[in-house]
Amino acid sequence: MPITTILIANRGEIACRIQRTARALGLRTTAVYHFVDRAAPHVAAADAQVELLADAPTAAYLDVDQLLAAARATGADAVHPGYGFLAENARFAAAVEGAGLTFIGPQPQVIDLMGDKIRAREFAVQHGVPVAPSCTQTGTLDEFVVAASALGFPLLIKAAAGGGGKGMSIVGAASELRGCAEQSAAAAIRYFADGRIYAERYVERPRHIEVQVLGDGTGQLVHLFERECSVQRRFQKIIEETPAPNLPPALRDRICQAAVNLARAAKYRNAGTVEFILAPDGEFYFLEMNTRLQVEHPVTEAVTGIDLVAAQIRIANGETLWLTQDQVQQRGHAIECRICAEQPEHDFRPATGNIKRLRIPHADGVRFDGGITEGLAIGAAFDSMLAKLVCHGVDRGAAIARMRQALHDLVLLGVDTNVDYLTRIFEHPAFIAGHLHTGFVVEHAPSLGAAPVATRARAAVLLAAALATDEFRRMAFDIPEPHASIGHWRN
Amino acid sequence: MGTQLVLDGTPTTITILARRPALTCRVGDQTCTVTETAGADDSTVVTIDGEAFHLWRVQEGDRVHVKLGTRTFSITVDDPINAAAQLGGAANGVKADMPGVVVSVHCAAGDLVRAGHPLLTIESMKMQMTLTAPRDGTIATVDVKVNETFQKGAVLVVLATEPESTSS
Repeated sequence: MPITTILIANRGEIACRIQRTARALGLRTTAVYHFVDRAAPHVAAADAQVELLADAPTAAYLDVDQLLAAARATGADAVHPGYGFLAENARFAAAVEGAGLTFIGPQPQVIDLMGDKIRAREFAVQHGVPVAPSCTQTGTLDEFVVAASALGFPLLIKAAAGGGGKGMSIVGAASELRGCAEQSAAAAIRYFADGRIYAERYVERPRHIEVQVLGDGTGQLVHLFERECSVQRRFQKIIEETPAPNLPPALRDRICQAAVNLARAAKYRNAGTVEFILAPDGEFYFLEMNTRLQVEHPVTEAVTGIDLVAAQIRIANGETLWLTQDQVQQRGHAIECRICAEQPEHDFRPATGNIKRLRIPHADGVRFDGGITEGLAIGAAFDSMLAKLVCHGVDRGAAIARMRQALHDLVLLGVDTNVDYLTRIFEHPAFIAGHLHTGFVVEHAPSLGAAPVATRARAAVLLAAALATDEFRRMAFDIPEPHASIGHWRN
Repeated sequence: MGTQLVLDGTPTTITILARRPALTCRVGDQTCTVTETAGADDSTVVTIDGEAFHLWRVQEGDRVHVKLGTRTFSITVDDPINAAAQLGGAANGVKADMPGVVVSVHCAAGDLVRAGHPLLTIESMKMQMTLTAPRDGTIATVDVKVNETFQKGAVLVVLATEPESTSS
């Protein structure tokens, strides 16, 4: 029985994104929400809504029992997990299937395999996919420190079970290793309830290159080319694009083939992403596989014309893969940036507030994926990402030009965002030249600050602000001349 | 007497010098003529000495957010009467003007906040609003949590009493 109704176990922009494709396919959707999200766009846009009860808002979206009950109550026959929350939780995938529903995602055992960094790495080695020199903690922390030192510095230390930059640190010298290892182990227990850590050779000025794959679970699998996600802050991507700039075609083919080899060996089902670190010398190493839709999937959709959510649904319906590798073609260049509620000038600290004004840019080649609306309160409960802007052009220069115009045309007022900062990146000579690496934001911090505002523009801003208040308007426009001269008064 | 504005930590005074034939203001140490017209798509065009600036703006309490070109600004506009009242009796408690429910909490005890920093988002009379810090200071206690209801006049957040400061 093909899917008719999808419960979307998520919120925000990705819930809205999934709803859009579901509607286009004539499918019904069920939205779930915590009380704080009751006014969010993803709730109103669905065919059915179920409130999840929990003290902490994030806990609501992680409550498997309530999600399954919501699916039953609204007649949903499939669950789409989006990204984050339960998207890479094998127990959730198994629980969904156990309840007789279709999980729009990979097989639970593949989620399990790729979710464990150590097992995933071993799997990559077995299938000829290059990995960085590394070691895993098997015994005491002391033994780990000795083994890690032997790899040479700098080293990257991270939680064996984790992701998202939690418990990750770069160790420059042997003297710092022990302290960093202790901190990482503590973070690993705190975030992932699994204290094992591992170290690998840290590649200086690395690029983050990832490959989108699509598999049907039988070993039939294609790649949808690469994405460059090197512009990051706090170990999180903020700008992604495809194709990767300045990447030699032969190297690109090798990276894409490595991704296909790994995912095909796992008989991967669903859309997935194999992430690599690319060193300046052209060596590349397997980083991890994300067994879900990525935040940055729209750039791949823009250049290939393939709706990845629709593809996920077809695969979940049991269709065999309808694409051959030759049928997947890239057209033009696409760039995405993540619009976050944060303060770039204060180390990208998350910001809160209310969206008082929202004007979304509409133009050819411009896509805005958001889950926000005017009047929405932006709290600290969830990730700071509010929306994504995706621009597609005939080449990279055209895509950048479109992005700059789209950011100029976007009006998002009431909560601090990184919109101005993103514009400065898209105007930066190093970005325009495609000289990217994961330390881009830190390296160019001195030239990514806001320029001073011209005197007259500053006066215009101040006068516009003053004229926004009733008090000043009365003085400027309403009060008869003699009174204005007397000064400021009110009854 | 002028209107005090603060942009990026820098205070500026705007004084109206003349209203006719054109609105003429002193902004800091420069004098300019000003006209304001409505632009397309709910925008505003402020013209300073003949140079037009096309911008979007929205007021939120004593702050005004402005988007001009590729830049976003948040300006605090001091209402002279409110400012005087607050100087007189800077109460430590942030109170609810209406009964309502807490939607989200943006601060925690011990946080250093600036005047205008959002403390709580509350919903009263089916409207959401943000309660902001009335002055710079340290949060002493947050007396409510998310989804908690409160009565009119309830103290929701308390700022620590500041020692007398001589610096400006």
